Amino acid sequence: MGYLFDPANWEWIFAGRNFMFLLERFLNNIVIALIVMALSLILGLVIALLRISKNKVTSTATGIWIDIWRNLPVLLIILYFGLALPQEVKEFWVDIAPSFLPEQIRNSGQVVASIIALTIYNSAVIAEIFRAGIHSLERGQGEAAAALGLPYWKAMRIVILPQGLRRMVPATVGQLITLTKDTSLVSILAIQELVSAGSIVNNTSGSPFGGTGVPAPILQVYIVVGGMFVAFNLALSLLSRRLEVRERKRAGDVETITGLEDQVGIKTV
Amino acid sequence: MDRILPIITNNLDVYLSGLLVTLQLVGISFVVAMVVGTLIASFRIAPAKLLNWIGGFYVESFRNIPLLVLSIIFSAGFIRAGFPIGKMASGSAALGLYTAAYIAEAIRSGVSAVSKGQIEASLSLGFTYGQTMRQIILPQAFRTVIPPIGNLIIAMIKNSAIVAGSIIALDDILQGARLVNSRTFATNEAFFWAGVGYLLLTIPATIIVRRLETRYAVKR
Repeated sequence: MGYLFDPANWEWIFAGRNFMFLLERFLNNIVIALIVMALSLILGLVIALLRISKNKVTSTATGIWIDIWRNLPVLLIILYFGLALPQEVKEFWVDIAPSFLPEQIRNSGQVVASIIALTIYNSAVIAEIFRAGIHSLERGQGEAAAALGLPYWKAMRIVILPQGLRRMVPATVGQLITLTKDTSLVSILAIQELVSAGSIVNNTSGSPFGGTGVPAPILQVYIVVGGMFVAFNLALSLLSRRLEVRERKRAGDVETITGLEDQVGIKTV
Repeated sequence: MDRILPIITNNLDVYLSGLLVTLQLVGISFVVAMVVGTLIASFRIAPAKLLNWIGGFYVESFRNIPLLVLSIIFSAGFIRAGFPIGKMASGSAALGLYTAAYIAEAIRSGVSAVSKGQIEASLSLGFTYGQTMRQIILPQAFRTVIPPIGNLIIAMIKNSAIVAGSIIALDDILQGARLVNSRTFATNEAFFWAGVGYLLLTIPATIIVRRLETRYAVKR
């Protein structure tokens, strides 16, 4: 305990640019998470619509696709794409990456491997969230729409999806929390982000050559790194809870879609 | 793709010992998670503000921290702080304490799903708080808690790869695949069989959890 709270072991936070450096690298995690989330929402909607299709072959095949990717460790998927993605694709990313992205994201070909891997995994989870949202409406609202003579796709577009999408907003924000935690895994592909930045601070801060001269013990560094993730994710979960309350106020006691560590459920109030 | 069979037959020992390490890690972590998770859940529902606060602090911090960061803290961090901790011990502490936060939330929501009227009724019948919990609330909460705990075991199987792949470096299924890949350069095949290994654990677990969900479905 003495070691943990010894002020000498915390001085590194205020030494040089250590703290700012960590914050800057955390931006890379957030950027990757947002890119993956945007792609997963689009892909997830397509997968969910295929999954609920009336065609048995399509829906079974999509169901198998979802179950396979959802049940694999995300680290396995990331490592696989990091090793197996052709070099041309990685170089292509470095060529086309838009200039507003952080430098380390633009210059690393492995970023595209990690984005592909995280998107495949997350779109499968998001598809399940979409499906639960659509499913929770389908019986009553779907039958009502059909009774009014609306064709399937029209009913989907103007009756089911607008309500279903609103119900899944809290669960999607919840999944963004899991995703933000998962972006820490891309450090294994030597992408510059918060976890690898922690190891840089730990290795260089105490060095008299170019460092700040104040040693940064690994325990304290990673408590700060973890604290940054916790602060960001707590803000997200507050947002998710607010949205859930607002949705319940607006629509009465509806079933809301809940996400827990990549598992999707329907919470009946 | 013609190497798909030789890769598994030549490296069966690597994959099998990896499977064993994964199971061992998940098994020990599950015990840790259940014990700590139940304790934290009882903190969160106890009629004492300080305990509520400690429970809430635990859940919010362990649920929102990446497991990879937790693994580094529990291995290299602890060793530097002067606690010599073994690989399996630090791995199962990280995975177990991380999952405990989710277990605590599952138990808590199971308890709060039992209606408040029942607690009031049993208290007014003269049961003590402890008796009410043990005899009225927990047996009912147990039913609602089983499916989410099953889901958390599946999540643990997947998350064990993160712990083993971190600085702790346990030779689990995924690390076995990396070893086979570095020996043979058959990336597709090496990872294919690791994927099969994980799916052999997670898919049956998913099917069992779905069955339990329908069996224990509580109509309120």
